[in-house]
Amino acid sequence: MDLIANLAHGFGVALTFNNLLFCLIGCIIGTAIGVLPGIGPVATISLLLPITFGQPATTAVIMLAGIYYGAQYGGSTTAILLNLPGEVSSVVTTLEGYKMARRGRAGAALTVAALASFFAGCVSTVLVAASGPLLTSVALSFGPADYFSLMMLGLIISAVLAQGSVVKSIGMVVFGVALGLVGTDVQTGQQRFTFGIPELSDGVGFVSIAMGMFGIAEIILNLEKPEARSVMSGKVGSLMMTREEVRRAIPSVLRGTTVGSLLGILPGGGAALSSFGSYMMERKVSKGRHEFGTGAIEGVAGPEAANNAASQTSFIPLLTLGIPANAVMALMVGALIIQGIQPGPRMVEAQPDLFWGLIASMWLGNLMLLIINLPMIGLWVKLLAIPYRHMYPSILIFCAIGVYSLQNNVFDVYQTVFFGLFGYLCSKLRLEPAPMLIGFVLGPMMEEHLRRAMLLSRGDPMVFVQRPISATMLAIGAIALIAMLLPNIRKGKDKALQE
Amino acid sequence: MKLNTKDLLSAGLFIAFAVVGLWLNQDHNLGTARRMGPGYMPMLTFWLLIGLGSFVLVSGLFNGPDPLAKWSSAEIGFLIAGALAGVAVGMVAARIPGFPSSGWNPLGIGLFVGCLVAAVPPGWRALFLPSAAFTLFGLVLEPLGFLVAITLTVICAAFADREHLERPLGVAGLIAFLCVLCWAIFIWYLDIRVPLWPQI
Amino acid sequence: MRSVARRSVVMGIGASPLLAMGVVAEGAWPSQSIRLVVPFAPGGTTDLVARLIAAGLQEKLGFSIVVENRAGAGATLGSETVARAAPDGYTLVMSNIASHAISPAVYGNKVRYDPVKDFAHIALVVSNPTVWVANPRAGIRTMADVVARAKSAGGLQVATSGAGSSNHLLVVQMSRLIGTEITHVPFRGAGPAMQAVIAGQVPMMSDSLPSSAAHIKQGSVVAVGMCSAVRHPSFPDVPTFREQGFPLESDSWFGLSAPAGTPAPIIERLNREVMALLQTAEIRNRFAELGGTPGTYSAADYNSFIIREVAKWAPLVQAAGATAD
Repeated sequence: MDLIANLAHGFGVALTFNNLLFCLIGCIIGTAIGVLPGIGPVATISLLLPITFGQPATTAVIMLAGIYYGAQYGGSTTAILLNLPGEVSSVVTTLEGYKMARRGRAGAALTVAALASFFAGCVSTVLVAASGPLLTSVALSFGPADYFSLMMLGLIISAVLAQGSVVKSIGMVVFGVALGLVGTDVQTGQQRFTFGIPELSDGVGFVSIAMGMFGIAEIILNLEKPEARSVMSGKVGSLMMTREEVRRAIPSVLRGTTVGSLLGILPGGGAALSSFGSYMMERKVSKGRHEFGTGAIEGVAGPEAANNAASQTSFIPLLTLGIPANAVMALMVGALIIQGIQPGPRMVEAQPDLFWGLIASMWLGNLMLLIINLPMIGLWVKLLAIPYRHMYPSILIFCAIGVYSLQNNVFDVYQTVFFGLFGYLCSKLRLEPAPMLIGFVLGPMMEEHLRRAMLLSRGDPMVFVQRPISATMLAIGAIALIAMLLPNIRKGKDKALQE
Repeated sequence: MKLNTKDLLSAGLFIAFAVVGLWLNQDHNLGTARRMGPGYMPMLTFWLLIGLGSFVLVSGLFNGPDPLAKWSSAEIGFLIAGALAGVAVGMVAARIPGFPSSGWNPLGIGLFVGCLVAAVPPGWRALFLPSAAFTLFGLVLEPLGFLVAITLTVICAAFADREHLERPLGVAGLIAFLCVLCWAIFIWYLDIRVPLWPQI
Repeated sequence: MRSVARRSVVMGIGASPLLAMGVVAEGAWPSQSIRLVVPFAPGGTTDLVARLIAAGLQEKLGFSIVVENRAGAGATLGSETVARAAPDGYTLVMSNIASHAISPAVYGNKVRYDPVKDFAHIALVVSNPTVWVANPRAGIRTMADVVARAKSAGGLQVATSGAGSSNHLLVVQMSRLIGTEITHVPFRGAGPAMQAVIAGQVPMMSDSLPSSAAHIKQGSVVAVGMCSAVRHPSFPDVPTFREQGFPLESDSWFGLSAPAGTPAPIIERLNREVMALLQTAEIRNRFAELGGTPGTYSAADYNSFIIREVAKWAPLVQAAGATAD
């Protein structure tokens, strides 16, 4: 079979000493920057681009790819241990992962995150190899109307991320969408809600919001309640997963891998949607759904599998069409062009070494990440034993450096302080930050697709129901909304009586 | 009536934000459904937020009680004083030539002073001292460099926790450790571009 | 491993203040690493070219050139930092059609620099022709087809990399020329726009040649017209707009500039080095693959070129209604 011959060729390329070495370097750097809050793969890859000039193209891309998926691995570590999401995808991991850590199951949460990521990485790599070109046509069949409906569905279901009132968390989603409006209007180039501040013309920074509302707000809350943090430190717990946890995690990993692989192919919002799409699914279908909100292992296993699967399949549009799906992929295009390779539709045939070598290296990279990460878990968990009075200034410093280094601009640092104070206020009012972040990320894309769909349909809103993909998603969204709101209204009174 | 104060305040936050948004949105052209202007989506979003806010408001009248923690009069006073001081100092800084008015320094100085003033009552220290420390980092990083910024930030943040005050040596150790660690990670290993030493 | 993660010691910020103290006063330029600000996010054409140039110049000058991306506000944020930097030859910017011609008109008084007076312009590095490409199934092969489609009942939609870009303004120019409105469909960058054209959601796109060259070569899109003075050597069979009866030319360009007041000898030296670099076979080949034309201007010529561009784009921005208020 062609596929096997090609994969064998790929492994031949990836297993050369040089490529293995750079794959390992990429994975280690990736893990490190994933763990550090604020510093993401985009910043790192752009810093490291110059050193790839001297290497063969395949080696360069293997290393950069390693950084990218390595960062996905590392990102879950701070999300679980410190409630600090560095990327959109790890926002979801904080929900159950941090709760697990507080229950003394940090070791198990980190282990399941690593194993789930590994499994998902392996499966989706095979998917990229076997059906990349086929899946490309799926991505191409998504028009603006379909994207809009997908985002809409995403926003509706993101309300299930809430631990409390559904209406309030839908409110936070809309709040996030409103915050996402700040900046230059893509369609007209006009500035909206920027108050003449040039730094806001590209919108409010995601990292500033995430660091402020999760990181700083969490520090403040922990400092306020000394008794809460004494529970936190010292309670390290066993590193190993119990048999029960393994049994519960397996189906979630399988579902997460499926969701992530499919959504990852869609350029733009796909990868962002994958992890909380999976969270939503786990919350509705998994056996442990009643434990959600208190640290359910399914809520870590599923989303972690999903985001790693998505990060591998997001290479598909790049490799088969030459079109970058996100900022990291745009940098890959840059790296290739500097190497004199034009990424394009025929890259598979024109650059078999690159294509199959990269795929094989992704598989090897996932294995390396597992080997790097599993022994590290013990070390990470020991961090929790550090007295909180040493911990919080360190987190502040790391966040501050991370936020600053994004643009080398202190405005981002001040902006983060505002979101820290706002995050504190929200937690006092029982408003959830997670739905707000999702709204913030998806809102602008939703607007873009809505306006483009209307422009292309010449003002006919029927386009959203005439296209089968779009209509299906809107229908699911409507059902989900009704299903969520009905019991909530009824429950309102019972809850009042309880308290 | 069982007032849910948290819900009522949340509703107030949503509605106030949306009303301000709608007011600002008057500058933007709404356009038509076919060719939506820059104001179309904000309009939809803010009206939706008002709707959701009203829903939370009405239900908040009945599903309580869920009161907020009580604030002492000192806490309220210093919160207001901090906000006023921050704005005033920021505005003054913007008029002083040189460092105080360059770039985003007026904002940083105002924010820092405001947080410090608000941190006077002990109940607010956990909230405002870490915020002040974070601001301080932004303020001193570019002129005084990475190592000084780390030192000052840790010292400022340390006041937020009473345990630190009894162990000044521990703070010194932490500063030394963080300077070395951050230098190793960010400068030596990742090579991000920040000034390491004071820039004169 | 660390030696890989870290660029060479000279490039590190840690070394530069030490160097700054001792040697700057001697007057021998360069005596420390040079900062090259790219006012766009990494990965774009400007960023790529900046990195290619930086790598070449570094060898010739003997000091490292650190590329720093400072994106935002139509490339004006990064340009503003350079306009305000010390004119000592150690801070340069990739000046370009957005930051130094279009955005000042789009952003008006929010741009706190003058694209001509606040800079000492050094050299035009490359200019890229604009090309109009169509989905092969859209049935648009020539500019005549474009006009026919625009005048048909359904009208014509043209995708671009964004509002306020030179491509957007070209669509406006074309609409005015043919007297029928072409619907402008802006995207967030050239990549997503190209995908929409390949998928057939939008029939056409106005794009700069480097980002569409590969797709034209591989036949996933058809080149309808090259919007430049002459046919491009890599695409000799694509006729220009002018040949097809539409007297429009729109090249996007970028070059190297320093803050105003930078000593003339430094400007001259940099211009010489860049020109020499652009003549090397490696750079020529790379640019040819990308579809760009290396610049040949002297520093003075580049300055007057920018003056012409500023004058050219301001009225078009007004006409397009693309001002950002």
